[in-house]
Amino acid sequence: MTEALTPILIDDLAVTYGNHQVLAGLSLSAPAGSVTALLGGNGAGKSTTLSALLGFVKASSGRVSVCGIDPRTAPDEARRHIAYLPENVALYEHLTAVENAQYLLALSGGKQDRAAIAAAFAAAGLQERGWDQRLGAFSKGMRQKVAIAVALLREVPVLLLDEPTSGLDPRATADFNALVLAVRGRGTAVLMVTHDLLGAAHISDRICFLECGRIVQDVAAQGPERFDVRALHARFAAPAKGLAA
Amino acid sequence: MNAAALIARDELRLMRRNRVAVIASALLVLLTLVAVASSWSHQRGIEDLRARHQHAAERAFDAQPDRHPHRMVHYGTFIFRPLGALATFDPGVDAFTGNSMFLEGHQQNTANFGDVNQSTLLIRFGQLTPAFVLQTVAPLLLIFLGYGAIARETERGTLRVLMMQGATRGAIVRGKLRALGMVALLVALPAFLGLVVLTATSGAAILPTAAIVLGYGTWLLLWVTVIVLVSASACRSRDALLTLVAIWAVSVVLLPRVAPDAASVAVPLKNRLQTEVAIARDLRRLGDAHDPDDPHFSAFKRSVLQRYGVTRVEDLPVNYKGLLAIEGERITSALFDRYSGASHAAQETQNAMVRAVGVVSPAIALRSLSMAAAGTDFAAHRGFLEQAEAYRYDLVQRLNRMQADGVTYADDTATDAGADRRKRVGARNWEAMPDFTYHAPGGTALAARALPGLFVILGWLGLAAALLAFATRRMGERR
Repeated sequence: MTEALTPILIDDLAVTYGNHQVLAGLSLSAPAGSVTALLGGNGAGKSTTLSALLGFVKASSGRVSVCGIDPRTAPDEARRHIAYLPENVALYEHLTAVENAQYLLALSGGKQDRAAIAAAFAAAGLQERGWDQRLGAFSKGMRQKVAIAVALLREVPVLLLDEPTSGLDPRATADFNALVLAVRGRGTAVLMVTHDLLGAAHISDRICFLECGRIVQDVAAQGPERFDVRALHARFAAPAKGLAA
Repeated sequence: MNAAALIARDELRLMRRNRVAVIASALLVLLTLVAVASSWSHQRGIEDLRARHQHAAERAFDAQPDRHPHRMVHYGTFIFRPLGALATFDPGVDAFTGNSMFLEGHQQNTANFGDVNQSTLLIRFGQLTPAFVLQTVAPLLLIFLGYGAIARETERGTLRVLMMQGATRGAIVRGKLRALGMVALLVALPAFLGLVVLTATSGAAILPTAAIVLGYGTWLLLWVTVIVLVSASACRSRDALLTLVAIWAVSVVLLPRVAPDAASVAVPLKNRLQTEVAIARDLRRLGDAHDPDDPHFSAFKRSVLQRYGVTRVEDLPVNYKGLLAIEGERITSALFDRYSGASHAAQETQNAMVRAVGVVSPAIALRSLSMAAAGTDFAAHRGFLEQAEAYRYDLVQRLNRMQADGVTYADDTATDAGADRRKRVGARNWEAMPDFTYHAPGGTALAARALPGLFVILGWLGLAAALLAFATRRMGERR
């Protein structure tokens, strides 16, 4: 697949905060219609990887590409191809769910008509009675559904998820996983940063272990069992070999 | 609709849905309206009162019976400084200096030696005027409405959400500036409309009004820029709020109070008592017209006799006592002028020092601009004093000349029973005396005096805009 057609491409990326090297030669690619999980301990560089794709951190070396666009030189252009869900979904509490969607879609130039938004909310599993309520009283799961609905409406080729299921109850987690698979089915490349090994094993096509700023293990799903979760857990629980913890 | 307009619309929607913000904004608009109305009513009252008193004083002077001219010198008259129409917007030093003066011979009365310089820049917390509302209260409202404009987005993570939707940093900042700018316009509009109506109905010059509108518009725009700048630079809303309140307290409250105090310490003025003692001492040194051995007046007498070619004052074709009064007034007036000139020079030095501080405090620059354009600053007050003194000197010397020409020396020195009647001149002479007419500075002159303050505020706006441009480039980056 050519670089322009690969939604997410990272090659030998290095990022340094002061004297602290967070990413050290990270390489990763995610094709369209795939879910890639990025696992690792605290400080391994997972969120920094997402920030590099979003153009919020400057790489000291290496290459980053989002649909062929370098977010370091053209961050606004790269972000037009990305939907991003942070760990704590940030939306506007003074606006209703519909108003949030309308506002954000107006900014991105996406569909803003109520019918399209309603369809996206329904697809995201947001109950109708919540559509015209302000987000101040929404749970984390409900906020995520609003954010996912906006992402669906934007129809972007890349979805970045940062700890999406942390704090969600099992039912909400299952709903969310189903939604991610639906997004993948539309041809979106999903890159998910998570600590939830079981959840990742359930929906990912590939699991990468990040340690000391580089990928130390890259496992693709195979067969009906997809992943050897026991072996992955043993690897995940093993102490890090390096300095950048 | 572009991204900046969308962001501005949402920011205004947030303010509309915040009950406290709505109430605060409505109260400030109401306060501005009340300030315009009350200030207009107050100034009209003062103006009417002064016009009435001026008329009464002129009538009283004109209605004096036949009298000795020197009695009229001491009878004196009152004059009142009429206020310009824009004094309604900013009464400036008027409340502190007073504008009535008692004019009489041998004296320069009222505020000539008053400690007026501090009044030029005092914060007038007691006066509810449109100028006070826009100078002091409006920035506070803008701070409370705008401190979180960007800091809140950073803190809650919505800044990156905006950027993720394709909004550029520049568009976000422009949107916030536009929203807060509209609030500033809403707050300023009642005052500006009042000012325009005032100008149109009173026939005031347009240029000073334009200078005031431009100055206050720039002032509020400066606050909008500074608020967004601090909000963009702070990681937390609370930090932005504290920083902005500190900036407000120092620049709007502290510096305008401290600067005149510091100037007073650096260039001390003599108080009224010290001045009067010094003048009395100098008067004694100048000489005594009643002392035949006084060197100055002996020389004056010799020169008069020589000029008229006589050897005795009794042989002069004019009343020597009248000439003596003219000479005495000339000498004492010169002495008073010297003291008032020194006092004015010291006050001007103080004001120059305060204006220099205005370079670091745009609030001082704005007050200077506002009072200068409204014609209520120290320079305008000094202009009134100088015109009043010129009128007083002319009036007294006319009366002295009347004594010299209209009363004979023999009658003036006579002590017989009918002498008092013979010393008097006709009452019609008082009516012939010109009335005091205050010539206010022209619109161009007032606007020109406001320009330095405007340049300072524009300079600050340029600096704030440059810093905001720098801060905008770093928005959303990891810190």
